[in-house]
Amino acid sequence: MSSELAVSATGLVKRFGNRRVVDGVDIAVPKGMIYGVLGPNGAGKTTTLRMLLGIIEPDEGNRTLLGNDRPREVSDHVGYLPEERGLYPGMKTTQAIAFMGALRGLDWRTGRTRAAHLMEAAGLGHATDQKIRKLSKGMAQLVQLLGSVVHQPDLLVLDEPFSGLDPVNQERLETLILAERDRGATVLFSTHVMAHAERLCDRLAIIAGGKVRFEGTVADARATLPFKAHYVPHHPNDGIRALLPTDAMLEGDGWRFTLPDEGIEGTLVKLIEAGYGISGMSIERPSLHDVFVRIVGAKALADSEAAEAEKQP
Amino acid sequence: MSSLARLIRQTLTIARRDFVATVFTPTFLLFLFAPLMFIGFGAAGSGAAMSITKNSDVNARIVLLASDDQARAAVAADRRLRTMFRPIEQPYPLIVEAPGANPEAQARAIFERKESDTYAVMYGPLDKPQILYSKNGSRSADYLAALADQVLRAQRAGTSASLSEPTRIVVARAGATAGGHSQAAFFAVTGLFMISLLLAGQVVGTMAEERSNKVIEILAAAVPLESVFFGKLVGMFGVALLFLGFWGTVIVNVGSLLPAKLVTAFIDVGPAVGLPMFGLLFFAYFVTAYMLLGAVFLGLGAQASTQRELQMMSLPITIFQVAMWGLASATAVEPDSWLGTAAAIFPFSSPFAMAARAANSPALWPHLAALAWQALWVVITVTIAARLFRRGVLQSGSPRLWLRKKGTA
Repeated sequence: MSSELAVSATGLVKRFGNRRVVDGVDIAVPKGMIYGVLGPNGAGKTTTLRMLLGIIEPDEGNRTLLGNDRPREVSDHVGYLPEERGLYPGMKTTQAIAFMGALRGLDWRTGRTRAAHLMEAAGLGHATDQKIRKLSKGMAQLVQLLGSVVHQPDLLVLDEPFSGLDPVNQERLETLILAERDRGATVLFSTHVMAHAERLCDRLAIIAGGKVRFEGTVADARATLPFKAHYVPHHPNDGIRALLPTDAMLEGDGWRFTLPDEGIEGTLVKLIEAGYGISGMSIERPSLHDVFVRIVGAKALADSEAAEAEKQP
Repeated sequence: MSSLARLIRQTLTIARRDFVATVFTPTFLLFLFAPLMFIGFGAAGSGAAMSITKNSDVNARIVLLASDDQARAAVAADRRLRTMFRPIEQPYPLIVEAPGANPEAQARAIFERKESDTYAVMYGPLDKPQILYSKNGSRSADYLAALADQVLRAQRAGTSASLSEPTRIVVARAGATAGGHSQAAFFAVTGLFMISLLLAGQVVGTMAEERSNKVIEILAAAVPLESVFFGKLVGMFGVALLFLGFWGTVIVNVGSLLPAKLVTAFIDVGPAVGLPMFGLLFFAYFVTAYMLLGAVFLGLGAQASTQRELQMMSLPITIFQVAMWGLASATAVEPDSWLGTAAAIFPFSSPFAMAARAANSPALWPHLAALAWQALWVVITVTIAARLFRRGVLQSGSPRLWLRKKGTA
């Protein structure tokens, strides 16, 4: 196994009863990268991450974490934010962060000192002495996230980290993830919100139905779909349809169609010569959202987004 | 850092969190001072019971119907006989009345008097006295018979003074008696049972906190579940030690204020291995009893997903503890019987049975073997509890065995 990989998995399978929740997942996360695991709800993202971390054992397949095939052996070098957030409500914030560091081998005194600095940097300086039960949900979530980085891990695994955060805290979290990458850590996170993945990920995998449907960079993902053209005629007329590519669809005042392999110029010349004119014209690069919809289906994405909307504060 | 050192560090981290979270709360004060309520209610109850007994004893008596000469001799004999009884065992006061024309009718009438409770009445010649007694007055009747006998013996000897003049010398035994060993064994078993009943049961609900707060996922990702379970056991054991330390100090200080007479009542009670060694062994068996029972309770409690399920578990847990106590105390007198050996081998009754054995037998090597055996079972129980939790609650398979993994690699 390459030592340049922070995480690698081949043929991971997990069954719950008769259901194969994870069905032969392969993942390779290079060191020092931000890697996204994308997928709709129920795709198997959380189960995959839990197997990678050694919380649960795969039924089939192999995985290594920081070059070790026994994930627990390297747990001191890993930070983890689970999907279901959990903190002891009676603990003070700095104690909670220091405790999470102590679990990973950081001494308590250093943990408390770093906790205070981290909270200050994250804009939570006013809450260093507060008990967890007094915090808002978003603040508690940030405290837990700080607990997962306090020991300065080589690998940070975040399961749906943006879930339940307001836009301000989402931005804070993005900053923190980028800072961790800049520190040299590898960040592996799962999400079904494309905007975060598009902004943050160096590489990503799209999982659906327990299988990896795509693996590569954001640019690679976009390259799986052709560019689209959006054309708005100056003089609309029913006859225009015959001059456009066969997949052209009317959207409002304009037409959207796949950019022809030979380019747009020939089509435009025909449209101008026929007197339709050009009121508007744009070439659109496919988004990660488009790729995701194509891979997992529009309904699965809509379900995920509806579930996420319910979690927002 | 070696794997063992890492495991210990992780275990102590969990233990520290649990200890602090338990001790630095107002609820802990309630827990710490709970025995005061027990002592308070016990004292009030026994005070009331003593008061009732005392009130009923004030009117109790035994009666002798006798002429003046006989009466004087009987009172003198009664005074002598009473010196042989401890205060709480004294016969009821003797009342002497002159006999009437019909002593039997007179005696029967005495039982009907409302102002007093008469338990026995003696009348007639002392060589063939008639003794009437109530249903619960047979001991009083025996005493009156002995009194009559004593008076006659004094009359025939021509003196009421003692005929024998003994010289009494107190001799200190080198060690406790065989009966004292048995008593020490019973005290040891019961003492261990009481403190483990009070303290080990506290462990049962500790995993519920992690499950309800969803912290278990954080812990399971960071440290082995075995460390989580051991850490919780050690943390709660620390709480138990604090509790015992506090009450131990109180009891030792109160004990030093007790009258010397009370202390001499226990002078024959002593363990066969000697008091200092017995103290050490008792503590060691407390540790293993706590860890063994605690591991079982922790494992069971970890499977419960609701408070209702936890509450339902309290009865079988108490029955299990009582069963272990019953098994061990049945063997306290005969540790070498087959039942005694079985109780010493069965891991969950072993600490109790071996504590009793320390009181009965001076041999030390069985204790080293027993402690190692019990420690092994603590590890086995915690490992099973952690695996069941991993499979049932975390819905994971068990980690692959080393050989299997190497074989498939």
